Amino acid sequence: MKFTLSWLKNYVETGNLTPDELAEHLTMLGLEVDSVTHLYEELADLQTGLVVSTEKHPNADKLTVCQVQIGAETHQIVCGAPNVREGLAVVVALPGTILPGNFKISKSKIRGVGSGGMICSERELGLSTAHDGIMELPEGTEHGQAFTEAVKLADICIEVDLTPNRPDCTSVIGIGREVAAVTGSALKIPVTNQEISSVSDKFDVQIDSPELCLRYAGKLIKGVTIAPSPWWLRKCLLSVGLRPINNVVDITNFVMLEYGQPLHAFDFDNLAGGKIVVRTPSEEEKTFTTLDEAERKLDSDMLMICDAEKPVAVAGVMGGLNSEVSDKSTNILLESACFNAVSVRKTARSLNISTDASYRFERGVDPEGTINALNRAARLICELGGGEIVDEGIDRYPGKKELLVLPLSVTRTNTLLGLDLSIDKTCRMLESIELACTKKDEDILLVTVPSFRVDLEREADLVEEIARLYGYNNIPVTLPAVTLSYPDQDQARVKRLEIARKLTTIGYSEAINYSFTAAKHIDSLGITAEDERHCFVKLLNPLSEDQAVMRTTLLPGLLENVKRNINFQKPAIRLFELGKVFFPNGDNVQPVESTRLAGILSGNRYGESSPLYFKHKSVDIFDAKGTVEFIFREMGMALSTEADDIYFQVPDSGNEEPYAEPGYSLEIRTSDIKLGFLIKMKNDVLRSFSIKNEVYFFDLDFDAICNLQTETKQFSSLPVYPSVKRDIALVVPDSVSAGQLLDEVRTSRDKLIEYAEIFDIFKGDKIPDGCKSVALTITYRSQSKTLTEKNVEKSHAKIVHMLTNKFGGSFRHA
Amino acid sequence: MEKELQSLATEAKDFLQNLKDKAEAEEFRIRFLGRKGHFTSIMRSLGNVAAEDRPRLGQMANQVKAEVEKLFEQKKIEIEQSFGKDKKLSTPDLTLPGRCPAGGRLHPVTQVMQETCAIFESLGFSVAEGPDVEQDYYNFEALNIPAHHPARDMHDTFYVSDSILLRTHTSPMQARIMEAQDPPLRVIAPGKVYRCDSDITHTPMFHQVEGFLVDKDISFADLKGVLTVFTRKMFDRDLALRFRPSFFPFTEPSAEVDIACVMCNGAGCRVCKKTGWLEILGSGMIDPEVFKMVGYDPEVYSGFAFGLGIERIAMLKYGIDDIRLFYENDQRFLSQF
Repeated sequence: MKFTLSWLKNYVETGNLTPDELAEHLTMLGLEVDSVTHLYEELADLQTGLVVSTEKHPNADKLTVCQVQIGAETHQIVCGAPNVREGLAVVVALPGTILPGNFKISKSKIRGVGSGGMICSERELGLSTAHDGIMELPEGTEHGQAFTEAVKLADICIEVDLTPNRPDCTSVIGIGREVAAVTGSALKIPVTNQEISSVSDKFDVQIDSPELCLRYAGKLIKGVTIAPSPWWLRKCLLSVGLRPINNVVDITNFVMLEYGQPLHAFDFDNLAGGKIVVRTPSEEEKTFTTLDEAERKLDSDMLMICDAEKPVAVAGVMGGLNSEVSDKSTNILLESACFNAVSVRKTARSLNISTDASYRFERGVDPEGTINALNRAARLICELGGGEIVDEGIDRYPGKKELLVLPLSVTRTNTLLGLDLSIDKTCRMLESIELACTKKDEDILLVTVPSFRVDLEREADLVEEIARLYGYNNIPVTLPAVTLSYPDQDQARVKRLEIARKLTTIGYSEAINYSFTAAKHIDSLGITAEDERHCFVKLLNPLSEDQAVMRTTLLPGLLENVKRNINFQKPAIRLFELGKVFFPNGDNVQPVESTRLAGILSGNRYGESSPLYFKHKSVDIFDAKGTVEFIFREMGMALSTEADDIYFQVPDSGNEEPYAEPGYSLEIRTSDIKLGFLIKMKNDVLRSFSIKNEVYFFDLDFDAICNLQTETKQFSSLPVYPSVKRDIALVVPDSVSAGQLLDEVRTSRDKLIEYAEIFDIFKGDKIPDGCKSVALTITYRSQSKTLTEKNVEKSHAKIVHMLTNKFGGSFRHA
Repeated sequence: MEKELQSLATEAKDFLQNLKDKAEAEEFRIRFLGRKGHFTSIMRSLGNVAAEDRPRLGQMANQVKAEVEKLFEQKKIEIEQSFGKDKKLSTPDLTLPGRCPAGGRLHPVTQVMQETCAIFESLGFSVAEGPDVEQDYYNFEALNIPAHHPARDMHDTFYVSDSILLRTHTSPMQARIMEAQDPPLRVIAPGKVYRCDSDITHTPMFHQVEGFLVDKDISFADLKGVLTVFTRKMFDRDLALRFRPSFFPFTEPSAEVDIACVMCNGAGCRVCKKTGWLEILGSGMIDPEVFKMVGYDPEVYSGFAFGLGIERIAMLKYGIDDIRLFYENDQRFLSQF
C-alpha cells in the first residue's frame, strides 16, 4: 500500500512528525514501512518557462522556433509539438539537465537553427504516456521556478508492507486512523454515511447469490463527459504508481485508495435490460472477456456481475470488455459492493489475476463502507465529468450483520502480556482506534468492533490491539518461571552430529545440497526404471526441470559440487552429506523419508595439507574403504569377516551400482541387509556430469546403521608379557587375496597369535609372472609368560607351513 | 677382581675423556654399560668370588658403575650442547610449517543450527525433528491457515499433490507435538523448509528452527525474555532488540524481532537498508485456535512460539552477502567457517 504524505494530510494532522518519524510510528504499530521515497527528485532541475513568441522554422514544416522566458533570461528553443503557442506556460529542460531514462539535454542545432534546451511533454517527464504535445501548465504559472515546486509535485511517498489481517489499512483513510491514534488528532473523512433507498425506476439490482454478495449498491450518473482528469487527480494517482486513464476510471481508483472500497464503473448503455444481476454463470456461459481483452474460462462457482442477459464483470476481480467505460460513454452505472472474501480469492486464483480490487476483497472489505465510497465517487464524477445523478440509487444488503461485541478481561490481558494495566487505561487505548467500550464489571470490558476491523473476532485479537497500542517495546522482559525437566535427546540427531564432526577430523567438509534434483540426472547415472531410486516424489510446481523431483540419492548433488570445485581450482575433494532421500508411498500420502550418509572423493589425498610433508598422491578406492571403516568404528561397530556381523562383500556380478567401474565395488552388509556401498565412478558417467577426474563415492543407509547394536565399551586388562613380532613374505598367485591370507592367520587355532597385518605387496623383477609377494607381520603373545625364541619359532614355522600349503605359495625371507 | 674393577674404571674414564660425538658415545655405552658390556660381565662374575667378599665387591662394583654412568651422562650433555653451538646449520629451519594433516569443516548452516539448538537446550528445550514432505493439514490447517486464507500468499508452496506439500516452515512440528503430548512443553524443531522463490536473497530450500513453550501463565514478556537471551548469546554481544507487531495466523499477538544491524551497529547501512535494524525472527503468543485444534484449553494454558531462519542468522553472523553460496558447497567457502 502506497500513499503520499500530502494525501494523508487531507485526513489527519501529522503534527511535528518528520516523514521518518511517521514511518517509525507506523512500523511499530504493525504497519511495516518498506520505503520512504522523495518523489520526483529526478525532475528537480526542470524549470517553468513562458513562451513569449513563436515563429515557423525556416527549414521544417512541423517545427516551431520559440523564445522562452525563464526568469530574467530568454532562451531560443526549437519545438515540434503542435500545441506550442504564445503565452503558454511550459516545462523546460535547459542544457545539462538529465531527464528520466538518463537522457541528457545539450545545446544543438536543429535543421540549422540553434536550440538551447527542450520543452517537455508529460511522457518525457515520466508523468504519463501522453506524447501528443508538450505539457501545458496552468495559466498564470510563474516562469523561472523549479517545476516540481510550481506544480507541487514534490512529495513523499510511503510504502507500507501490509500483513493480510489489516484490510482496513488498504486505504489512506485507514492509515490515517492509525496515525490519529498516535498523534491524538481527529480523523477527517470527506463523505460520511448517507442512506440511499432501495428503489429506482431507472435500473434494478438483483442478487441471486446472497451468500457470495453481502451488499451491492449502484448509482446511475447521466450525461457524463469522459475526459482526462485534472492535474491534482492525475498527480495523486501517479505519485502512488497508478496510470491515469480518464476521469471516471481515475475517480474509481482514487476513491478505492481513499476508502479501501473497490468501485467499478459500467457504461450503462451497454447493460441489457438496465439491470444488474449478481449470480454464478449459467451452463452456457463458459468464457468471458475481461477488459484486458483476455478470454477467461469460467467455473460454475465464480460470482459474476451480469445484466439481464449476460455477464459484464467478474465480481470483485475485473470488469468486462463488453461494458467498459470508453471515450464515448455518457451514462455511467457506478458499482460499490461487498463480496465474499473466499469466493473472490478462489476466482482470482483460478483466473490467475490479481487486481487492486481482488487484493482488497480477498482480505475483507468493510460492508458498512459501501455507501460512503459510492457517494464520494458519484459526487466527484459530477464535479469533474459534468454529469447528473439520476436518483439516490439502489442498495441491496442481504448480508447485513449486527456489530460484534467482544468481552475483554483486563486480568487476562495483563497475564498474557505481562502488564498491569487498569481497566480505564485499557478502555482509552481501544477507543483511540474507534473501538467503543463499556464496562461490564471491574474486570470485563464489552468492546464493540467497528465493521471495518474484520480482523477482530476474538478476545485474543483485542489483546493484540492493546499490546500494539501500548508498544511492544514497552512490555517488560522476563524469563518464564517453569518446572525443570530432563528431556531425552534425539539419538538420531546426536549420532548425525557426532559422525559429522568426526568426519571433519579426517579431512571431509560437509556439503548441503537441495532436496530436489533433476530426473535426468538419475538417468545419467544409468539407474533404470526397476530401481526404486527411479521412482520419484514429483513436485507439481517446480521452479525448473532441474529441481522437479525429490532426490532418491545424494550422488547428483555431490557430483555437482565436485564439478564446481574442480572448475574453481580446488580439485582435491573430500565432501560428505548427511541428508534425506524420498520415496513415494502412494497418492496423497507422505513419502518415505530416509537419511543417507554419502561421501565423495577426488584428487589429492592430502588436500590442503602441506605438500612439504604430505606428497601429492591421488585418492583411490582404499581411501573410500578406509572412510567407511572409520565411520563404523567411530559409531561403535567393528567391520569384521564374520557373516553375522557387519562385513564388506564384493557384490555379485550384475548387482554393482550401474555407475560403478567394474571391479571397483564393495558392499557393506549385515546378514541380509545391505547397509551401503563404496565404488569408483565410471568415467563415462562422470563425463555426463562434465567431470574428467577420477571420483570415488560411498553411500550408507544411516537410519539402518543407527538401528544396529553398538558394541558396549568394555575394558580388557592390559597384557603383562611382551609381544614378539615376526614377518613373513609369501609369493602367492595373483588370485590369492590379501584377505584370504589374513583370515587364514587370524582364524588359526594357535593361541599365541595376537594379530596379523599386511605391510607390503610387491610385484616385479624377482617375482614370477602371475604372482605377487605379500608381506605380513604376525604378533605373538602369551597371557602367561614371556615368549622365548623357541616358542615363537615353533608357532611361526607352523603358520608359514600352513600358508604355503594352502595357497601354493613359496616362502621368502623378508 | 678389585684390580679388574679399577682398570675398567680407568679405561672407561679415558674413553669418556676423548669422547667426541654421539656415535662414539653409543659405542661407549655398548662396550661398557650395555647388556653384553664390561660392567655386566663383571657383575655376572661376582657369582664366582668367595661368599665373604661378595657384598664388599658387589658394593664396590656398583659404586664404580654408578660413577662411570654419572660421568657418561655429563659427557652426553656436553656433546649435545657443543653440537648446537658449532653446527648451527644443521638445526631445523623453524620457519617451515608445522606438520598436521588438514581437517575439513562442518557446513556453516550446521554450525549455526547446532549453536541455536545448544542455546535453547541449555534453557531446557528438547529437540524434535519432523518430515520435510508434510500434510497440508499440519503445514496450514492446524496452524489456523485454512484453504483460501490470504496468509497462504505469504508462503510460496511447492505441492506434491492436493494435500501433500514441502513444508514451508518448521511450524507444523508445533501442531504435531502438541497433538501427541500434554503441556508443559518446551521444544525446538530444526529442519529444512521449502518455498518456490529463488534470487540473491532467497533459495528454494533453507533451514529454520521452530521453538515453542506452553505452560500456565506464560506471557508476552516471557517471550521477549527468552528471545533476548537467544539473540545475545548467538551474536555474542549486548545487541539492541526491537519487537514489532506483525501477523502470523498461528500466533496472537504476533511479533517480528529486529536486532540492531550487526554491520553498522544501528547507524544505518546498505545491509539494513538504512534503517539500523535487521529482522531476524518471527514470534508470538500461540493463538487460542491452535490450542483448540490440539485439545488444549486456552483458558488454562498459554505459550509462545517463534521461528528463525538459520541462513539469515549465518549471513549476519559471518557477513555472507549471497544466500546461494550455501548450496554451492565450494570448498573455498566451506573452509572459512
